[in-house]
Amino acid sequence: MEFEKYSLLELVDMLKSKKVSSEELTSYFIAQIEKKKNLNAVIEVFEDALSKAKEADIKIKNNENGKLLGIPVIIKDNILYKGKVCSCSSRFLENYVAQYNSTVVEKLLREGAVIIGRANMDEFAMGGSTENSAFGITHNALDYDRVPGGSSGGSAVAVAGGLCPVSLGTDTGGSVRQPCSYNGIVGIKPTYGRISRYGVVAFASSLEQVGPMTKTVKDNAYMLEILSGKSEFDETSSKEKVEDYLSAIKGKIQGLRIGVCKEIIESVKGMEVEKPFLEVINWLKDQGATLVDVSLPDYNLSLACYYIIAPAEATSNLGRFDGIKYSRRSEDAKNVDEIYIKSRSEGFGKEVKRRIMLGNFVLSSGYFDAYYNKAKKIQIKLKKQTEELFRKCDVVLSPTTGSVAFKLGSKNSDPVSMYKEDRFTIISNILGIPSLTLPFAKGEKDLPLGLQIMANSFKEGTIYNLADFIENNWEVK
Amino acid sequence: MQEYDIVIGLEVHAELSTKSKVFCSCKNEFGAIPNSNCCPVCIGLPGALPVLNKKAVELVIKAGLTIDSEINDLAVFERKNYFYPDLSKAYQISQLVRPICVGGELKLKNKIVRVNRIHLEEDAGKLIHSSGDAGTLIDYNRGGVPLMELVTEPDISSAEEAVEFLTKLRSLLVFAEVAECKMEQGGMRCDVNISVKPKGSNVLGNRTEMKNLNSFKSVYRAIEFESERQIELLEKGEKVVQETRKWDDDAGISYAMRKKETSQDYRYFPDPDLLAVRIKRDEVENIKRTLPLMPDELKKKYVSEFGLTDYDAEIITKEKFLINFFEETIKLHSNPKNVANWLITEILSKIKDEDQPNIKISPENLAKILNFIAEGKITRTVAKEIFAKVWEKDENIDALVKTMGGGISDDELENLILRIISSNPKAVEDFKASPTPEKQLKWFVGQVMKETRGKANAVKAEEKIKNILSK
Amino acid sequence: MKKFDLAEVKRLSSLSALRFSEEELNSFLPEFENILEMVEQIKSANTDEVELKYPECDLDDLREDKARESLSVQEVLTNSPKTRKGCFSVPQMLED
Repeated sequence: MEFEKYSLLELVDMLKSKKVSSEELTSYFIAQIEKKKNLNAVIEVFEDALSKAKEADIKIKNNENGKLLGIPVIIKDNILYKGKVCSCSSRFLENYVAQYNSTVVEKLLREGAVIIGRANMDEFAMGGSTENSAFGITHNALDYDRVPGGSSGGSAVAVAGGLCPVSLGTDTGGSVRQPCSYNGIVGIKPTYGRISRYGVVAFASSLEQVGPMTKTVKDNAYMLEILSGKSEFDETSSKEKVEDYLSAIKGKIQGLRIGVCKEIIESVKGMEVEKPFLEVINWLKDQGATLVDVSLPDYNLSLACYYIIAPAEATSNLGRFDGIKYSRRSEDAKNVDEIYIKSRSEGFGKEVKRRIMLGNFVLSSGYFDAYYNKAKKIQIKLKKQTEELFRKCDVVLSPTTGSVAFKLGSKNSDPVSMYKEDRFTIISNILGIPSLTLPFAKGEKDLPLGLQIMANSFKEGTIYNLADFIENNWEVK
Repeated sequence: MQEYDIVIGLEVHAELSTKSKVFCSCKNEFGAIPNSNCCPVCIGLPGALPVLNKKAVELVIKAGLTIDSEINDLAVFERKNYFYPDLSKAYQISQLVRPICVGGELKLKNKIVRVNRIHLEEDAGKLIHSSGDAGTLIDYNRGGVPLMELVTEPDISSAEEAVEFLTKLRSLLVFAEVAECKMEQGGMRCDVNISVKPKGSNVLGNRTEMKNLNSFKSVYRAIEFESERQIELLEKGEKVVQETRKWDDDAGISYAMRKKETSQDYRYFPDPDLLAVRIKRDEVENIKRTLPLMPDELKKKYVSEFGLTDYDAEIITKEKFLINFFEETIKLHSNPKNVANWLITEILSKIKDEDQPNIKISPENLAKILNFIAEGKITRTVAKEIFAKVWEKDENIDALVKTMGGGISDDELENLILRIISSNPKAVEDFKASPTPEKQLKWFVGQVMKETRGKANAVKAEEKIKNILSK
Repeated sequence: MKKFDLAEVKRLSSLSALRFSEEELNSFLPEFENILEMVEQIKSANTDEVELKYPECDLDDLREDKARESLSVQEVLTNSPKTRKGCFSVPQMLED
């Protein structure tokens, strides 16, 4: 059987009704990973994957419950799974063994998931193409010569390439949504605080969230409910009640107020995605939604804000990688200062170093107010404008990216053009609002383009309902 | 000769009395096996996040209330970034723009020292330097222990005042159960900022900072030395270099640190892992209600309500354990002055030189002894003997009173008196003939005391002798 | 205005505990200039009326002061490149 053709929910049913065993599923996907090794999506297949699958089969036999009982899952290499290496695709942490489980891994395991491996990524989640990994680039699942997007490129290719039915990524500025868009799958960056960040190696703490990456919208809704909730180990995780997202999917969108944001429409002009984007908006109107003109005056500053706030937090978050307590220590360091400087200079890749330097620039004395505080103030202003906006509409639509996946190596020498790849996704991280991408159009060489649906905080249900409607009724062309 | 003003500001760190650390649930405990009270949070493992301890915030609020600080309605936590091996995350979580407490003051004998702020932060781990070249070891047990940092205004002008300030602050913190301030364990540490200027001048001199002084004695000596040094420089027409200096307690000198702090840029910014804490007025009021009377207030009460002398009240209210003992004892014995006397003359004299004073008698037992005296069952002499025995070996007081003579019954006393009278007819005659019979009476009492080796109640004996002889 | 020269790089790399080769610097400097140019768009925004805000919680939301079990010393030290006597170990440091 070609199990990659089934959705997560179908596989859950097949396991439950014992049409297939977890062992079969797991060995099938492990074989897939081996077969598609040239994609370099997966850094490591965990050696205990099959034995965990067998354990799951015993539980299935005993009619034990678990929403993911026996389901193979791949996690991004910055999510801690106790006893397993977690490297963040960095030389620095090449052999770092996690001493505890992240909250999301706990939740997966509690529901019986079989975590089969860890996926390649941009080092410390910094990048948009998975070309910044210390362990080689990952290739787009649909076009070998193109980037998979990033930083959760490995996780996206794992699902799109049929290496697993569901994976986890993390999204600090678009790192779940952009690779999903480039590979034609569904991904969400939930409301900030919806999912606990405990045990996820921090890049920019105030912006990032874990997000499930799936083939279908319903699969995604199913996963989000499992992963969400307050954790006592994460102050920033939210107490807000977790919804049953599947039942938020009603199959109709009558009366839904769709925000058409002036600044987004302007940004889209002349891009590959412009035509299908405008088409889908009009189609939604025909389907019974109400279009509302809205505006976020400072929308275009979100990218600049992001490249101040994120590096500032990153530079501090990455200070702990100092060569003393874990992992890499430069061999010829003769004193403590040399341990710091040599271990870090040898252990970090170029993009990581660039962001650490940028972060120190905006935080350092004399620049702090003009950069960091100013960016925070613009963020506050944007949040205020957003409150206003969501009084008028329920969701806002945007493309996920301007065009299809770009060619490998084409943006390496120009960081700013790489950063601009995230121009449509970053706004939801700056605002902390939920944002989902689903494939909705085909561009150059029939490669996928993603549509992004944003809603007010904790309105993931509204997003899933609309996304599911589009997935089932709109013809991708 | 030119005279100088010495200008001193203090930064005092005290480890808070919590069960767990400030951002994780590891034990806050001194002296454990190295790295045994550590978890992902306090050794800075990737992915770990801080979660703030409520008690730590409450204790800092308490500390602020004891010195009349204003409590901020929103407390923000920032990261102070720098690399040092005792700092596991390469940043210390501290407070800069919105500390928990702002302002406040502490009254000394002759002046009021203004407090600038009190904030909450985490302690760093401990570096263990080996002799020779074996390397430096790092123990993160202390990393993440809650610390309050109190910063004074530069209102202190002598070593004496600095020590008076610290003594008083320590007593407040201990008393309010904010911190135990065990100096020998590093539970209270002090940074001293010091500068000198020509007397009366408005222009402040360059200041130096001495960090981590961990006894009042070192603070005193360091200030004496450093102010002298600065004055000498000025006298020679030289300048004081603004710098951090190390105080060498053994040598009794301060010297410039080998590694110059090149105007550290700590790049403070709000910690995105932590939420700012909203502190409501009624929560502050609730904490206020849990505060015991502070030493100054207690002293007043002891003098005005209990009639203690200023001196006695001052001594007792200096130390929390003395106050506790006093308060417990007066619940069981109705004369506070008696209690104060015994506490100061008998007890304090025994323990005043101990590092960790331990009162080896319970308030119940002291009260019992004092009650026996009051009831006339024992004399002060006997009481002291009993006290000494109990101190040495926690014995049963009732039994001691019996065997040591407090147990002389009225009958026994009467028989003894009758015997003394009948065997001393000359003395009886003298008594009857004397114009001042009191003298003879005293002689008889003396005999009784001699026979009973001081165990009889002299007052009672005198009364009885008088009665018998006057018949 | 050129903000980013070699002296500035030196200051920042010292704060970052990083060292760059000459070659790295040559590509780094112009890239950094470009990034700064993009970032400086924020200057166009007027934020005079905006007050800084912080995500907040109540005192009652904080963790209760209860001690829990820590990691074992072995777990604490397991990923360290160098340990001695149950401690992390670094080359001898000067005592101040």
